[in-house]
Amino acid sequence: MATNTKETKVKDFNIERSAGEQRKLSYKDETCIGCGICEQICPVEAIELGPIGAIVRTGSDEAKICIDEEKCVLCGMCSVGCPVNALDLEIEGKPIREIETYPRLISSAEISDEDCVYCRACERICPQDAVTVARVLPDRSKLVTGEIDIDKEKCIDCGICEEMCPADAITIEELGPNEFDISVDEDKCVYCLVCKRACPEDAITAACRGCSYGEYEINPEDSEIQGKAVIDEEECVRCGWCEEVCPKDAVTVVKPFKGELEVDLEKCETCGACIDICPCEVLSFPKPSKPGEIGEKVEKNEEMCIYCGACEKVCPNEAITVKRTGINYTPTKSKSWQKRLESLKT
Amino acid sequence: MFFVEIYINIETICVINTQGVHMPKHIASGLKYLAAVELTRDGYSQKKISKMLNIDRSTLSHYLHGRNLSLSSIEIAELIKEFTPKDFLVLTDAVIEDKEATKTIVKTCLIKKFKVNVLDTCIGCGVCVETCLIDAIVLDNLKAQIDPELCCGCLMCEDKCPTNSIKIWEE
Repeated sequence: MATNTKETKVKDFNIERSAGEQRKLSYKDETCIGCGICEQICPVEAIELGPIGAIVRTGSDEAKICIDEEKCVLCGMCSVGCPVNALDLEIEGKPIREIETYPRLISSAEISDEDCVYCRACERICPQDAVTVARVLPDRSKLVTGEIDIDKEKCIDCGICEEMCPADAITIEELGPNEFDISVDEDKCVYCLVCKRACPEDAITAACRGCSYGEYEINPEDSEIQGKAVIDEEECVRCGWCEEVCPKDAVTVVKPFKGELEVDLEKCETCGACIDICPCEVLSFPKPSKPGEIGEKVEKNEEMCIYCGACEKVCPNEAITVKRTGINYTPTKSKSWQKRLESLKT
Repeated sequence: MFFVEIYINIETICVINTQGVHMPKHIASGLKYLAAVELTRDGYSQKKISKMLNIDRSTLSHYLHGRNLSLSSIEIAELIKEFTPKDFLVLTDAVIEDKEATKTIVKTCLIKKFKVNVLDTCIGCGVCVETCLIDAIVLDNLKAQIDPELCCGCLMCEDKCPTNSIKIWEE
């Protein structure tokens, strides 16, 4: 007869049932945002959300959720409801989000290769460090042209040009007493002519053929920047910061939930727990306008909110209300699944 | 778990019969005999029956001609047949140790018919599928489908269902 087994690895764990059909539910604590949707959707009350405020703020060893393996029936609802895929049910090794009969939340974040200019704005802003922009820059030497020559007869080895060169293109090598060699790395030189102007002995002749400060023809291919922007599906929480900051509108983010976020400033005691737990950096304290000013009550930037509800759960003063008004999921024929998913609306 | 159950049942049977201790294999022979007789009556060939019950043909032939099988084994099998469907199934499953043969015996010997209904509250967790000893349940679109033809009315699935979505009753 089927009995469940539980394997725990630090904060992560797997619950398995392998009688006829193999089912495995894995939980990744690092990915979990502590929103408690799993607790809410579980049809057998097997999941309990831990004291997330304390866990997040103290870096506790405790996992954010606890699943009772005696109660869990490995139905997979938690896995479907989890907005960040911290819970994953596999049947015969296949994640249920890939099995058509199971519904799944519709959410995505994509960066269009066509429009992206690899500016890394998304990489810098991402609160989950989920974006990586790899880029290959063009050869600097191909973007400037010119000529430079140092008359070694005139050169007195003063080192002024080497010290002043903004591109570190000039190297003087001391070969022995009163013996030296001076060279210019033409891959680094941008023909700015600072060396020529600074040389006390007029030993340097240089000219920018197409002036590096002006517009001139270069081969368009030579200035091409190549790259790839990648969003780590496991880390991304669909907050939309990348979409917001992208100067080229290259990012499209689809969020799983629609809703409203309300903060009751009368009740807020400025403890900051909500700010610590929010995976989307929606909540913050306003910056003080002058030194020594006491921070004001919490502020929200609702556009980035995914309505996960973690802040509401963590607030000790019931100052936050997260209303979920819409859930975006693929259709399912199962009435009970529909009902449970709809029950996430508040 | 099964061992204890069988043991208790053997004890009970022994008390009733007062004919000494019967080992599980004797009980298994009795059950196979009953099924074989029933299947012969239904017109199955000995060749087919020996396959269905996983016994060799000569043993089957001996059984059907009243040889090599003590009368008390048959009596005990008759008695087991009258147990609740769950006890009959669990005991048969334990002594036969062959899923297909168990299915054949249960289906052949149990004459009761059952009606089944799975409510929309079913979440498709598959616990019933794992529980059913005779493979009468499959999942279809995240809902359990129970084959009433195969169902023996043991109610173990109904018992295990975490959402109380299974209803089975005798026709």
